[in-house]
Amino acid sequence: MNPADWRRLRRISQAFFLILFLGLSILTNARGQAAPGAAPFFRLDPLLGLAALLAGRTWIAPAFLFLVTIFITLLFGRSWCGWFCPLGTLLEWIAPRMTRGKSVGRLEKWRLGKHLVWMAALGGALLGSSFYTFLDPLTMLNRAVASALFPALRHAVLHSEAWLYRFPLLWDALDAAHQAVIVPLFGSTPRYFDAALPVFLLLAGVISLNWITERFWCRYLCPLGGLLGMLSKFALLRREVEPDACTACARCSRGCPTATIDPEDNFRSDPAECIVCLDCMADCPTGAVKFRWQIPGWKPATWKDYDPSRRAALGALAAAAGTAALAGIDPVRQHPSANLVRPPGASLASIESLCVRCGECVRVCPTQGLQPSLFESGWHTLFTPRLVPRMGFCSYQCNACGQVCPSGAIPPLELAVKQSTPLGLARIDSDRCLPWAYNTPCAVCEEACPLPDKAIKVEEVQAVNAQGMEVTLQRPHVVREQCIGCGVCENRCPLDGEAAVRVYSILT
Amino acid sequence: MPEWKRSVQRREFLKWCAAAGAGALLNACGQRLPETPAALPPTGQPQPPNENTQPTEIAESQAPTTAPAAGQPNLAVARGESPDAITRAAVAALGGMERFVQPGAQVVIKPNICTDYYSYEYAATTNPTVVAALVSLALAAGAKRVRVMDLPFGGSAESAYVRSGIADAVQAAGGEMALMNPNKYVQTPIPNGRDLKEWPIYNDILEADVLINVPIAKHHGNAGLTLGCKNLMGTVLNRGQFHRNLHQRIADLNSRVRPTLTVIDAVRILMNNGPTGGNLNDVQMTNTVIASPDIISADSYAATLFGRHGEDVDYIRFGAEMGLGVIDLNAIKIEEINA
Repeated sequence: MNPADWRRLRRISQAFFLILFLGLSILTNARGQAAPGAAPFFRLDPLLGLAALLAGRTWIAPAFLFLVTIFITLLFGRSWCGWFCPLGTLLEWIAPRMTRGKSVGRLEKWRLGKHLVWMAALGGALLGSSFYTFLDPLTMLNRAVASALFPALRHAVLHSEAWLYRFPLLWDALDAAHQAVIVPLFGSTPRYFDAALPVFLLLAGVISLNWITERFWCRYLCPLGGLLGMLSKFALLRREVEPDACTACARCSRGCPTATIDPEDNFRSDPAECIVCLDCMADCPTGAVKFRWQIPGWKPATWKDYDPSRRAALGALAAAAGTAALAGIDPVRQHPSANLVRPPGASLASIESLCVRCGECVRVCPTQGLQPSLFESGWHTLFTPRLVPRMGFCSYQCNACGQVCPSGAIPPLELAVKQSTPLGLARIDSDRCLPWAYNTPCAVCEEACPLPDKAIKVEEVQAVNAQGMEVTLQRPHVVREQCIGCGVCENRCPLDGEAAVRVYSILT
Repeated sequence: MPEWKRSVQRREFLKWCAAAGAGALLNACGQRLPETPAALPPTGQPQPPNENTQPTEIAESQAPTTAPAAGQPNLAVARGESPDAITRAAVAALGGMERFVQPGAQVVIKPNICTDYYSYEYAATTNPTVVAALVSLALAAGAKRVRVMDLPFGGSAESAYVRSGIADAVQAAGGEMALMNPNKYVQTPIPNGRDLKEWPIYNDILEADVLINVPIAKHHGNAGLTLGCKNLMGTVLNRGQFHRNLHQRIADLNSRVRPTLTVIDAVRILMNNGPTGGNLNDVQMTNTVIASPDIISADSYAATLFGRHGEDVDYIRFGAEMGLGVIDLNAIKIEEINA
């Protein structure tokens, strides 16, 4: 293969994995069991795998898939970033032309940043918290697609459709489109997300850094890039420049997306910063740029000024310890939020340690009741899943969240087990409930309860309503021993605003 | 010209517009109530059940649409092991599907697919074979198009159609499963309603040439029993609000939505923990299908399967009082068939 073919092959690889990642995320959104999980993507990610293993202090056999990535990195260097990472590909494609190959001298020392983040992430994991995984590139992208970008696109399409439905002449055509395209693609489940804006802004911020310089995120901030870069210092395949052939035309350094080719140093580069995109090889007019196996004469790559010093590493670990200590005094431990309902089988402990904030459970939840949390359970569980029954309930026949969870933060419960695992307990608010507070008939909660023996029972009473008429009422009661807190009662309660039956958390 | 004027260019303006638009989209994703319109249509005060109300006179067009020809029964009851055979036998006893479906007719079939919780063996959703038999009969009678639809309250229509087994059966029989589109509900006057004066009702149900109502007979915590009249609640929006005066509102709705034919699936009936079910001990095999152009007669007969009478169920009684059909089983001609 000639150098230009390599470039083409790399672009095909990038496009393939980006399309696969986004395709999985979009086409199977809210499909419950029918959604193929994207867990392999997350399990290939060494940052997430190590964080979950360290923080969870458990043996998660499938998580060891990340060893494949480590192996590939030790062979080829940071090829994950240039060939595979869907966020890296997006950043490469959404780059303004003027920043291509732009080296920002005064930022050079900030290449250290990404190392600090991964050290803090793994240090925090050692101390039991996977807090920093929300900065992982895969989780950031998946979360944004699942709980901001795709729902927003869906909203735009459905509202355009609703507008067109004002014209009855179009109805036949619209019905056909609705049934054949819109529902299969977007589903009929409404999607609303509390965290949509913060989740979107995080991704938008990362992308907009590209306007400072290309792949800003990958160069300076990405913890996964940092971790893989550190491994790449030891990689077997490395870039070399043949001094005899090099004419110092500087095409390679001008085109380098991470600006690691240094014209001052004979156009050499740092394997920790090189994402093996091979553009330099393709651009070189004299064939002076080669990627060669270092089998004889292998030694680790040089330590650079911007690489972490011992002091910096200790600083990152101190930050991790500080984070863990601050997380330790979060009041949620003593006094959990009353409305915080976790996915089936998950607990504060499992969420805090094992949840890598990838958003897979949020994505597949067929009612879209699972949401990335903000600060409802303390800042240290940012973007971990919680069930908001008013948005969507835990579907009785679904256990998809536990099946797609890559780290076991939500245990993979058998359906029958899930159906008897309480998430919370419903409580009737008799000051708002129609038959209780206003002597007005209603029993929608009882009707919707999916339990075979009904966890909401009604008691029939005669009462006089506000108009002075005798009415027969059915007043709902929750059967504590039966209720699994799925939240369908809260979801269906016909009151405007807050429901008169609400699921409250139970202490686990 | 001031400096700033030259600096705002079209490209930049468009960028800002795009950014503002994206912001508006995101804004729409923020927390909101579920997608049900919050505003209640004006309905007047809920009325309590009133036994002394005189039957309301109803317009000719709203009376049962297909009067029985001389000698034909008003109601057919078929019993037997095969849900397909008894469905066909019951319709045949009424004079065949040709009596109800003219060639070229647009037919809508409304089964009960209330949730995606359980498959049909749990008797919470209509038997798929019964629905499929009606699809084939309607197509054989020359129907141009047969659509099957319901709006579940637990789970999405897509998943409930599949879980109930109805999607497979209907497609195999040549019918279409149609998703009920939130944009096609029409605020519809209910001139003879005692409580409801207007309500959003599904356009395709109102416009269909033939509406075949195929409920399953089952227990219902709130309404007592759910049968033909109650099944039509699947044709409206804002059902939660119905419960404030459930029985009268069901009867009112029935004064506006008038099925051509009601076929009650009583192959299995749910005796307790309805309408959602989930316990096979609550399911009883009754191997029966009841068919009638008169929804009140059909419901009145089906109530007897639960040891009750039509008069015991308020919505059936109110419907009879409003002149929507005949509740007295002794006053109609019933044909019973063993198939």
